[in-house]
Amino acid sequence: MSVLIDLMRVALGVNLVLLVGLLYVWVRNYLQFRSKHTFGLSLFGVFLLGENALALYFFAFHPVLSPWVADPTLVPRPAQIAMLVLRLLELVAIGVLLWTTWD
Amino acid sequence: MEAALWYVLTGTRGGPNRARILQTLRRRPRNANQLAEALDLHYETVRHHLDVLVDNDVLVTGGDGYGAVYLPSPRVRQQWDVVESILQEVGVDEDRVETDTESDTDS
Repeated sequence: MSVLIDLMRVALGVNLVLLVGLLYVWVRNYLQFRSKHTFGLSLFGVFLLGENALALYFFAFHPVLSPWVADPTLVPRPAQIAMLVLRLLELVAIGVLLWTTWD
Repeated sequence: MEAALWYVLTGTRGGPNRARILQTLRRRPRNANQLAEALDLHYETVRHHLDVLVDNDVLVTGGDGYGAVYLPSPRVRQQWDVVESILQEVGVDEDRVETDTESDTDS
């Protein structure tokens, strides 16, 4: 049942795209304003981008970890569902943030 | 209110222009058309920013229809020191607002 894990990988990819959109706004504003607030937003975006990039690497490209996580004998279905749900919630959270920021 | 102001003015795509709009209106209330001219922005862009700022209770309108002028809301005027520090950090100051419009036409 690695469909769940495939979905999680897609969510990770979409997260990366949305975060690039957020960083486009925040870093541009930081470069213009140099304010603490825009600096903080930019840093937040960079670290969340790093987290998702690393997760995508671990769960989609890492030669050892990636096959493990999709193997239901190693990571049973309830655990795969849990991983997917967490990523989907993160996707919604970032999406909402982008929606309010892209204004 | 302070966090909301920071976010609306510096955390969003249109933030930089909204900061310029607020600074300009603080000096003298204007309508959307006059603002677009003063800041060298498209009328539709200005309209959108004005709606956002009114929505967030940063601005209020005086009069109605096409000629309605916009001015800082009582809530914002009460906390003008917060706005002042944002605009200062943002680099929008009194003298630059009207003279800098030529070089600052993006978005």
